[in-house]
Amino acid sequence: MVSDSIANVSIPVASSNPRDFGKKKRANRAAKLKQCKLDARREQWLSQGKNKGSKQELNGGGEACEQGMQVTNEKGQLMEKLAIKPRGEAEENGGYTNTYSDFDSPSNSPTSHTSSVLEGNYSGTNFTGGSSSSSSSSSGGCYSVSMSEEDNEGDDDCLDDWEAVADALAATDKEQEQHNSSLDSPPEVHMSFQLEVSDGKVPAMDTSQQNPKGRGTIPGFPVSFRAWRPDDEFRPQSLPNLSKQYTFPMNSERHYRGGSVWGCKSAAIPTSCPICCEDLDFTDTSFLPCPCGFRLCLFCHKKILEEDGRCPACRKQYKHDTVGGETTKDAGGLMFQVARSCSMISRS
Amino acid sequence: MNSGNNSNTPATAAPVMPSPKQTQTTAKTVDTQSVLKRLQSELMALMMSGDSGISAFPEEDNIFCWKGTITGSKDTVFEGTEYKLSLSFPADYPFKPPKVKFETGCFHPNVDVYGNICLDILQDKWSSAYDVRTILISIQSLLGEPNISSPLNTQAAALWCNQEEYRKMVEKLYKPSV
Repeated sequence: MVSDSIANVSIPVASSNPRDFGKKKRANRAAKLKQCKLDARREQWLSQGKNKGSKQELNGGGEACEQGMQVTNEKGQLMEKLAIKPRGEAEENGGYTNTYSDFDSPSNSPTSHTSSVLEGNYSGTNFTGGSSSSSSSSSGGCYSVSMSEEDNEGDDDCLDDWEAVADALAATDKEQEQHNSSLDSPPEVHMSFQLEVSDGKVPAMDTSQQNPKGRGTIPGFPVSFRAWRPDDEFRPQSLPNLSKQYTFPMNSERHYRGGSVWGCKSAAIPTSCPICCEDLDFTDTSFLPCPCGFRLCLFCHKKILEEDGRCPACRKQYKHDTVGGETTKDAGGLMFQVARSCSMISRS
Repeated sequence: MNSGNNSNTPATAAPVMPSPKQTQTTAKTVDTQSVLKRLQSELMALMMSGDSGISAFPEEDNIFCWKGTITGSKDTVFEGTEYKLSLSFPADYPFKPPKVKFETGCFHPNVDVYGNICLDILQDKWSSAYDVRTILISIQSLLGEPNISSPLNTQAAALWCNQEEYRKMVEKLYKPSV
């Protein structure tokens, strides 16, 4: 079942942006991933809009999900490509499952178009053997009714929102798992999220990790099912906030560390000066006046130099030539330069 | 930090931002601001840290004067006693140490009858990386591990070798403040 789901997930994406294949291989895949997701999502939406009719095909035919999806996305043009490409190459599977994970969330969205396509997905994957009607009733049907008007008005807004939401979901799917109670949700969806985290891996590995978790609890986005059902109108406004909170977990964590445990000499760069508690700007964070690794802002460093000139952390005398990195001849200066470059790398 | 603001807001913000000539006069207030920020941050960190046996809080009207308490560590002669301290922060804190005194009488080799504390980190070994929390922890550990070689209270230093007698003396002299 899991392997099936992977295949199904990968297919729609592949079909949606075939021209990206060449690009992707040539360029850095990670860098292109975002753009790829975007394209895939937009195409998905467009094709869904055009293919409302084909939806009937999907629903009616209880056949394998792959074919249904192909029809919806590319109107059957890309059948051959699909058959060849997505299956064999593990890397591409990974990449495209990633892409798919982003329009997982649109699938949940109440839009009628999406729901139709999703039905195709779900009927093939989650509800194996189940007819399309059952899938629609369980997953997408109710939303399409309530939100169809809004879809017509602001597709683009929804898209943007969903991009943000998808990112947030991907970043926090573990947290979401805890919140999920018991809903019969597609394990493969969960997988796709995981794949996004560890991109480029062979899907089989991920699935093995997934299954113990994903089975009983509800993976990735059943949460969204529940959250939106009562009042769908607020969904677009409220969800982007989630993304703001969760897209940069590293930053927040770093901030916390910097604020509280500033005394430690670890490589972590505090975000505020431990002496004056003011925020460190970029110049400050790239300023490492002492080999012990204790960082402080230039202002406090200058004040200390005016007095005893010792590092607050290790009490060693500051080397005056390190100030501002103007002289790089001495060992101290060199160290400063190295530290500066290191810090810049870690920041970027 | 000022330069960025000035470049963005030319004329209107000019009076607000201290010009280079004004920095001399405004230096004191700027310092006060930074000390305030530091003290507030310390207070927050101290309250969030949840260290057992130490606490401190600013006096009602003056954030530069704090009252702290430490409790004697377990398995020391000071176990079960609690001591109030006063911390007074200078205007150039944290570049200069705060003045810390025992408010509660403390029979200790390095504490005199007025509550003055002989502790290196409060004098020549001060570092701006220390804060209220580390000061209180240091004093707490000083209680159990006095420096006998340079005592302020010679009687206490002489008695330290006899822990049982010392314990009795601590209990006898301990007058918890209200």
